[in-house]
Amino acid sequence: MSLLWTLLVLVAALAVVAPLTRVLGRNTGWPLAGLYLASWVAFLPAIREVLGGGETTWSVPWVPELGVDLAFRADGLGVVFGSIALLIGAVVLVYATRYLEPGRQLGFYLVMALFTVSMVGLVLADDLILLFICWELTSLASFLLIAQGGRYGELASMRTLLITFVGGLTMIPAIMLIIVLTGTTSVTEALAHPVWTTNPGLTALVAVLVAIAAMTKSAQFPFHLWLPDAMAASTPVSAYLHAAAVVKAGIFLLMRFSPAFHDTLVWNVLLLVVGLWTALLGGRVALQQTDLKKLMAYSTVSQLGLIVATIGIGTEYALTAAVLHTIAHAMFKSGLFMMVGVVDHATHTRDLRRLPQLYRQMPWSFAVVVLGTASMAGVPPMLGFISKESMLAAMRQAPGEAWAGWAALVVMAAGAVLTFAYSVRIVFGGFVDGRDPRPVHGTTPGLFLPAALPIVVSVPLAFAVGLLDLPVGRAVKAALPHLEPETHLYLWHGFTVELLVTALVIAAGVAVILRRHQLQPAFERTILPFDGVGVIERLHVLSRALGVRANRPVEADYATRHAAAIIATFTLVIGAGLLAVIPSMPPVTPGLSQPIDAVLLLLITASVVMVVAARSRLAATVSLSAVGILATVQIIALGAPDVGLTQLLVEALTIIVIMLVLQKLPLTFGSPTRLIRSSSLLLALAAGVVFGGATWVLTGRRERSPVAQWYLTEGPEYAGADNIVNVILVEFRALDTLGELTVLGMAGVAIVAVLSSVKDRYLEPEHEDDLPEPRLRAGGTTAERAIREAWPNLVPLQLVLRVTGPLLLLISFVLFMRGHNAPGGGFIAALVASAAIGLIYLSTSRDRRIGPARLPLYLIGGGVAFAILTGIVGLVAADSFLEPIYGYVFTEHVSTSMLFDLGVFAAVVGLITVAFNLLGSTPRPAPGESTGLRVDEAVEGALFSRPESVTRERQPRVNASTTHILDGAPPRELGR
Amino acid sequence: MILAMTVGVLAAGGVYLLLQRSMVRAVFGIGLLSHAANFVLLAAGVSAWRAEPLANRTDAAVAADPLPQAFVLTAIVITLAVTVYMLMLAVLGNNDDTHRMPNTGESHDE
Repeated sequence: MSLLWTLLVLVAALAVVAPLTRVLGRNTGWPLAGLYLASWVAFLPAIREVLGGGETTWSVPWVPELGVDLAFRADGLGVVFGSIALLIGAVVLVYATRYLEPGRQLGFYLVMALFTVSMVGLVLADDLILLFICWELTSLASFLLIAQGGRYGELASMRTLLITFVGGLTMIPAIMLIIVLTGTTSVTEALAHPVWTTNPGLTALVAVLVAIAAMTKSAQFPFHLWLPDAMAASTPVSAYLHAAAVVKAGIFLLMRFSPAFHDTLVWNVLLLVVGLWTALLGGRVALQQTDLKKLMAYSTVSQLGLIVATIGIGTEYALTAAVLHTIAHAMFKSGLFMMVGVVDHATHTRDLRRLPQLYRQMPWSFAVVVLGTASMAGVPPMLGFISKESMLAAMRQAPGEAWAGWAALVVMAAGAVLTFAYSVRIVFGGFVDGRDPRPVHGTTPGLFLPAALPIVVSVPLAFAVGLLDLPVGRAVKAALPHLEPETHLYLWHGFTVELLVTALVIAAGVAVILRRHQLQPAFERTILPFDGVGVIERLHVLSRALGVRANRPVEADYATRHAAAIIATFTLVIGAGLLAVIPSMPPVTPGLSQPIDAVLLLLITASVVMVVAARSRLAATVSLSAVGILATVQIIALGAPDVGLTQLLVEALTIIVIMLVLQKLPLTFGSPTRLIRSSSLLLALAAGVVFGGATWVLTGRRERSPVAQWYLTEGPEYAGADNIVNVILVEFRALDTLGELTVLGMAGVAIVAVLSSVKDRYLEPEHEDDLPEPRLRAGGTTAERAIREAWPNLVPLQLVLRVTGPLLLLISFVLFMRGHNAPGGGFIAALVASAAIGLIYLSTSRDRRIGPARLPLYLIGGGVAFAILTGIVGLVAADSFLEPIYGYVFTEHVSTSMLFDLGVFAAVVGLITVAFNLLGSTPRPAPGESTGLRVDEAVEGALFSRPESVTRERQPRVNASTTHILDGAPPRELGR
Repeated sequence: MILAMTVGVLAAGGVYLLLQRSMVRAVFGIGLLSHAANFVLLAAGVSAWRAEPLANRTDAAVAADPLPQAFVLTAIVITLAVTVYMLMLAVLGNNDDTHRMPNTGESHDE
């Protein structure tokens, strides 16, 4: 229960941040810090339990099917790290109340609260999935906090996110492997599983993955560069996250997984080598820094390297040293970060070159900083001295040969020298050697006291370090559960090798102090021409260039490139498949070809060549219609009268629509380049061979199919009709026809939609070539009228229309009614009716709209709706959608499929009328003047305009005995 | 099988036109390809039997397969709708992709 309360208080803190900041502004830190302390107080029973030797747990099932629980366990590690997070968090929040600018500061407090919840959840988590979620939440929270640091903060936060998420990415397979290997998601059970001793290969793999994840969080080489980068965040953030929390999460992870990996050689070597190298690298680069905060960052990197190396040793003594140094580091580093903030507030700079001489003007700060850096450098009798000594001693227990331990000791000693050197730089460079005459403002106690607190508390703790025996001991027990550690920490260990080493380090350090001015240039010499941030930026640029390169094949705007790729792939695949399949195909059925096929082949080839080669658009259109007619003949020759009729009528209507469109386009096609021509030709020939070959190989090699047999013999009795194709269309496969209707409808609506949304185009051509003026008779004569005006040329057609119009409609009706028993049906009837409409359209002297404006859309919608309604009748009456119901009307056998056909009729007529109206109806501008009518205006005009003036009604229509051409009076025409 | 050669010729012409830059040419190419596809469907009905599938007029033993005919009929009508739509798209630009340069009033004949 104690764990539950601890977490609940923190979640409550998260919830109250928003209202509190509204009321208190930056002082929200006070109540929040109080809440953190309350949470720690709630944690105390668990702490007492753990120190007494037991453990506290609390869990509820979370995803029972996967065995995942919301499980929390407090053991030594949880107690130590949790207390660090809560207590130092409280101090930093109090500090923040004075450090931050006055204002709401909602972002800061909210994300800090979120961060604390996830950090405490992380250290208490007993379920691998929960652990991972809290891990990622800490990454996210640190990203958010860094991103609040202004423009540079945004860039830096992205780099931090990138690196910490790399850690998350290595953690996922690690966790998955652990779950698979051990069969449980509980951390304690998984770590105690015998697989870690029986399967060295997988153990090594998981160990490496976990180590990498921890190294990204704890800023080890090569992932260390996010930590100095993150200094763009405000100082309280750095004091908390980068001293006590985020970076300690990585350390925590390493210790948490030590029970499984502490004697895996790969783990030991990896951590030791990387840790020591990072310690040296961090220390060396720290010496170069002039920004105090960046210096602190690199020193954190270096100190973490030492801790990581110590954990890598893996013995009880080493882990004790690591835990102790973790505690010491958290205290002095957070304090030092906060002191940097104090200096910053007092002098408004953090740059060592610009600081005045501070030790006289800020004596208390100077004292605290000296104490803190002394602890960092390992000077007795500070807490840092004890922990550093332990670490040096632990180095000698390195696994492997005896010289490995001594080598590690020497390297760590070098690291200690560097630590001392940059500590000197902080103290002397920051407080003693400054020469800048800028003014120093006073320090508020509210800022100074919390900053000094951790460091000041650590001083007497060094003398009473025995107090830490029990917590550290329990933590080591948690990390190495198979041992019973007896931890005794004390200040004086006697004259040991470590003490000698420390003495040498201090001696070297004193020499550095004395010679610091001479050594300065050597320190500040740049080692490498680039730095980590530059590396990441370079990687970023490279991956973007790679992305652009990868996109290039598909970024083309025009369709040819994409179509060519598809067709080429198709050709290759089908061609290869055909070659593979040919040997095993049955023989060709005899009698497939007739002589007429050969004639048609020749004619079609000629027409196709003409379509392809035509430069003039008109010639291409005529050739296309020739192909269409020949296709009709071929279809009829194949025994499909319905299809042939449909094809003929569709051909006619298509050509009319093409002509409507062509009048708005240039006279000729552009000619393609030679490359396009030859490559298209090649691909086209290949595609043609493959298509034709596929047809030859894959069809015509069987007897009549059973389905066809059934349709031909049983179909007519079933439906009571003789035209089997029509019966299939409207009865057996009526749903397909309904789908086709919908496509028609959508095409019509889409045409309206596109045209009414195009706002920057004009439908009529911009530029009329000046046509040569023929020499004409005087004005007013029939000859002149014949050339200049359109209507006289159309009078014959209008006369024809008066006769054939009704005839066509009659034929359409007959075709509709007889569809069931002879070639005909809804489609063909609709196409004939559309042909009649087309004829009307062609007979007008100007493009006029046929019928009311919205009629076509109503026809389409009504047709589709009516067809669906018919289907529902079938559903209701016979339990199946679109089932036809048969009946007798005046001894004539009818069925509801005829109603379905009616819907088809309406939709097709609607589509064709849409096409004619919208593609045609733009008022022709007078020569020499452009109306500037935009496309969408034309559509709206066609849809919504009123009919023209009524005076036209008075004019007579064309009939057999009128004299329009002689009189010069235009007749009345159909359409609006 | 001569029908297969017809299919091949139509497909070759259709693909060639489809790969051209002018949209109207692409529409013509799709038209040719749809003719080819229709013939493939009809060939699937084994063109050895070519009598019309009308029950009161022809013998069921020599009648053509009615099912591919129904499919082709549907296909032809859908092609009509799609062709009209594409032609509408083609007309929305004045120069039909014949020129890369912006329209500067130059003539479109090359």
